Amino acid sequence: MSNDTSILETTNLTKHFGGVTALDRVNLTLKEGEILGLIGPNGAGKTTFINVVTGLDKPSSGMIAYRSRAITGAPAYRIARAGLARTFQVTKPFRHLSVLENVAVGAMFGAQGASRSTRAAFEKAEQVLVFLEMKEKTKWSAERLTIADLKRLELAKALAMDPQVLLLDEVMAGLHGSEVLEAMDLLRQIHASGVTLLVVEHVMKAIMGLSHRIVVLEFGQKIAEGTPAEIVENPKVIAAYLGNRYAKPKETV
Amino acid sequence: MTRPSAGDATRGEKIVYFIAIAGLLGAIAFPFTAPSGFWLRTFTFVFMAAILAQGWNFIGGYTGYASFGNVAFFGLGAYVTGILMTKAHFDFLPSMAAGGIFCAIFAGLIGLPLLRLKGHYFAVATLGVAVAVREIVSGWDSLTGGGIGLNLPINPDPNSFRQIYFFMLAALTLSILVTYLLARSKIGYAWIAIRENEYAARAVGINTTLYKTLAFALTGLFIGLAGGIYAYYNTTIAPDSLFDITAYTANPILIVIIGGGGTVLGPVIGAFVFQILSTYLSFQFPGLQFTFLGLAMILVIIFMPQGALEYLTGRRVFGLAALLQAPRENRA
Repeated sequence: MSNDTSILETTNLTKHFGGVTALDRVNLTLKEGEILGLIGPNGAGKTTFINVVTGLDKPSSGMIAYRSRAITGAPAYRIARAGLARTFQVTKPFRHLSVLENVAVGAMFGAQGASRSTRAAFEKAEQVLVFLEMKEKTKWSAERLTIADLKRLELAKALAMDPQVLLLDEVMAGLHGSEVLEAMDLLRQIHASGVTLLVVEHVMKAIMGLSHRIVVLEFGQKIAEGTPAEIVENPKVIAAYLGNRYAKPKETV
Repeated sequence: MTRPSAGDATRGEKIVYFIAIAGLLGAIAFPFTAPSGFWLRTFTFVFMAAILAQGWNFIGGYTGYASFGNVAFFGLGAYVTGILMTKAHFDFLPSMAAGGIFCAIFAGLIGLPLLRLKGHYFAVATLGVAVAVREIVSGWDSLTGGGIGLNLPINPDPNSFRQIYFFMLAALTLSILVTYLLARSKIGYAWIAIRENEYAARAVGINTTLYKTLAFALTGLFIGLAGGIYAYYNTTIAPDSLFDITAYTANPILIVIIGGGGTVLGPVIGAFVFQILSTYLSFQFPGLQFTFLGLAMILVIIFMPQGALEYLTGRRVFGLAALLQAPRENRA
């Protein structure tokens, strides 16, 4: 499934906001074809990581390489067109446009947007909405959608961009049990179609079930990396989530 | 309801097109019905108001950047036309075209830095540019005639008012056509995406700087053309009358608000309502017309903040309500 070619690689990636270090020398490698989970307590820097990698925020220092080419500091639209799409944790629909138009905008300007007519972009958008089972809401104004549907719209916009790498920022937050299972199934299908996934998620059932590997951030630093089984046993991770008291017994192992 | 996909006209849209084409044919035929000079001029100024509003619509209505500097494009379009006609002895049409193109380039150049600002900051910065341009024009005596201004060659056409009417109609038709074609293209969707959420627009691959600058250049182009035609109509151009912020910045914005921004025909409908109403009021209640206009404005804002077009058709458009919302929080 995944091979060892890196598709996205950060070297000492650092981001300061004034006196706060949101990312602190993060070295992270995303291998082509894998599903990488990115977890960490609130404020660990997960969203900042996605913002910086996609060019929406400029890194303070460090390097970002996509398919071995440096994209550090490149404009966000170029990175998007190169094949990196992301979703927003705090959803950002184009409110006065319909659901279909929202998704069509992704198809117009994403990786294959340049070679696509407006009409073809609408056709692509319809396919994506059928795949995500939102067909009956295509004509709705985006501002009418519930939070769960807005999350799904985020995913639809990103998929319409024909990404090679999809960076998902908490698409499952707020979903209940059976919806989480559905969403996991969707993500597996997207992955099977050849898209490399970086998944930021607090829903542990989802992240443990989906990820091949997991990277853990805390206060902007990478504190652990490994398979889901290794991560749940890692004392640093347990300390980060539950406090040192719960981690201590494990340290003797 | 929003349109299902680009190019598929709904029944309502077909009716609107039919009315638009009938309106255009009527406007072409109108001067040949031997109307009084009053009505010919009234409609000439309706068209001019509509061009100014349509010009603002690109940057304000579609792209969501409330420019308050459009008066600068009007004045510069008039002055470039006037200078080329008096100093270089060009004919009117090439002078007017040069005025429009000059304003498009000028708008693009000031847009590159200014369009990095948002909301009120952009509005105030563009207003500052307008004031600066007026001062430069007033002070550059050798080129612009300073505070006294320039006298353009008199239009030799015996039907000069009719000719001006057709120039305004042609420029307006062109502005509507360009808006119509771009609104349903990728460019139009890029503008709307920027207006709705610029941060998300960048994330889906939109080169926001490019599309914002393009919108502002089109704003400059059409307002500059209107300024050039106005200069030829008025034959005298002076800084005080041409850089009138109420007439050429505030009124066009109000017109777009009345009609509905980010729509193809909203600014035209708004211009008809506004211009006819203000002409009527200034005759019936000389001196009080602004009181009534202010009152009308308050009523529009209270009862149809989304603009007349949405109020009448029920279709979602981007109107005043959205412009008045607090600046969008773009960060996660």
